[in-house]
Amino acid sequence: MIALKFPEINEILVWKELFPSFNKISLIAVLAVLISSALFFMAGRKSDVNEAPKGSRNLAEVIVDFIEDGVIMQTMGKEGLRWTPFLLTLFLFIYLCNVPGIIPLFQMPATARMAVPMFLALLIWVVFNATGIKHQGVGGYFKSVLFPPGVPKALYILVTPIELISTMLVRPFSLAVRLFANMLAGHILLVTFALLSEALFQANDKILIPVGILPFIMLVFLTSFEVLVAFLQAYIFAMLAAVYIGGAAHPEH
Amino acid sequence: MEALSLLVAAEPIVKDPNSVGGGLTALGAGLAYGFAAIGPALGIGNLVGKSVEAMARQPEAAGMVRTTMFLGIAFTEALALIGFVVFILLKFA
Amino acid sequence: MLTAIVTQTGDQVQVRLVSSETTDTTMPEAVLMSASAEAGSTPKTDAEVKTPPNPVNPAINEMLWAAGSFFVLFALMRYFLFPRLKKGTEARYASIRSNSEGAVQVKADAKTDVAEYEKALDAARAEAAGRVDAARQTVDNQRTAQLAQVNARIAAARAEADQKNAAARAAAQGDVAAAVATVATRVAELALGKAPDASVVNAAVASTMEGSRS
Repeated sequence: MIALKFPEINEILVWKELFPSFNKISLIAVLAVLISSALFFMAGRKSDVNEAPKGSRNLAEVIVDFIEDGVIMQTMGKEGLRWTPFLLTLFLFIYLCNVPGIIPLFQMPATARMAVPMFLALLIWVVFNATGIKHQGVGGYFKSVLFPPGVPKALYILVTPIELISTMLVRPFSLAVRLFANMLAGHILLVTFALLSEALFQANDKILIPVGILPFIMLVFLTSFEVLVAFLQAYIFAMLAAVYIGGAAHPEH
Repeated sequence: MEALSLLVAAEPIVKDPNSVGGGLTALGAGLAYGFAAIGPALGIGNLVGKSVEAMARQPEAAGMVRTTMFLGIAFTEALALIGFVVFILLKFA
Repeated sequence: MLTAIVTQTGDQVQVRLVSSETTDTTMPEAVLMSASAEAGSTPKTDAEVKTPPNPVNPAINEMLWAAGSFFVLFALMRYFLFPRLKKGTEARYASIRSNSEGAVQVKADAKTDVAEYEKALDAARAEAAGRVDAARQTVDNQRTAQLAQVNARIAAARAEADQKNAAARAAAQGDVAAAVATVATRVAELALGKAPDASVVNAAVASTMEGSRS
């Protein structure tokens, strides 16, 4: 028999505080800021205008192009381009908080703690409501949210509560839960297969040791899958934020 | 109503897996995620299949179809993820 | 075998007996004994002593750190990093645009140059063709002139030769006729015994020679 006991859930999620209130999650968030500002600082240095961009400038411009062409132009159109810095920050921050989940020594996505996704979802909620009120006025915005045009008058009894709940409650809730649950599930899967292969490799029964290859292969596969998930979740979060903000600014779309 | 008040007044969830309550909790947690995954699984399969069909029919519209596909996946997947969160809540809360 | 775990929290002492055969530390047989210095205080259970935080609950400190770092990054991006990057990008785009406009200009210039060159080339070609034609004309004229001269010379030489030939032939004919007449006169003289009339013989010889020649 092998002695395998799954650790308490908080043992793999809650980290020691390096100094009061500052733990691994905070460290990852601060590092995300440092890394992205360092990248964009290096990218912004003077460069020869007659040369193709290379190095950090190339990387930064690829990210900016991805946000502008892949997220904003697809969802908000040309007038959404002034949101580029915000969505760029959002994407970079979420991606750099996701990606430590597969980086050795970190092995913990900051977004697998509810604090980070919840803060981001609340921020998006505030931003898209503020945008709607700024563009359409308080009355106009709530009218377009609660009484969508083109619906028969009698149906408003049904539509208005649904719209109120879906816009004001479900949107931030699903934004936060999507990011949080994806990253937490990935983290738990990685922990499970890592523990399983470790237990099998150190089993007393010699015959069990080669069997440990199987969960190890799965671990490698899941790690590469998490690379994809980390990017995809950041992309989806930024895209949904763009959709919500664009929809609040121009309800006819 | 009576059932609801019973639920509210119920004792804190017993985490001891050897007790009947703990076992039922674990069972409920497992079933919650299992059932929650059925619908989104069908939905995402259908969605991606149709998107691939659309991209194959009209490769020039592939970019637009892909964006819409990711949006649809995000909305559909949220249901399964809520099931996962319910699992966590039942199992560990 | 049982192991006793004694923990003290505040003024409360807990004793827990744990069987070492299993790894499960929360087995129900574990005996829980509490000794409280304060009489009448309710003994606390293990769960109440440390309630583990729910994994779904957001931790306030992590949230504040995340919010702080996000806003710092956003402010940096909004007012410093992104405009700076964009300025470089725009400068490059402008340079590429002006370069491509310059390239269009250069291309047009080159096109006009090529047109001029081709015009000059056509003119030179036409001139060369004219010169070649003229030269050919001159050569032709010279050739016909020389040819005519040579032909005239040849004709003159031929006429002279013909004349000489005819004279020689006439002389030879005269000699032959004279000889034939002499021979014929002699033959007739021998046959007839008298000399024939010379004029008759000459006429006969001439007619015979005329007939044999024709």
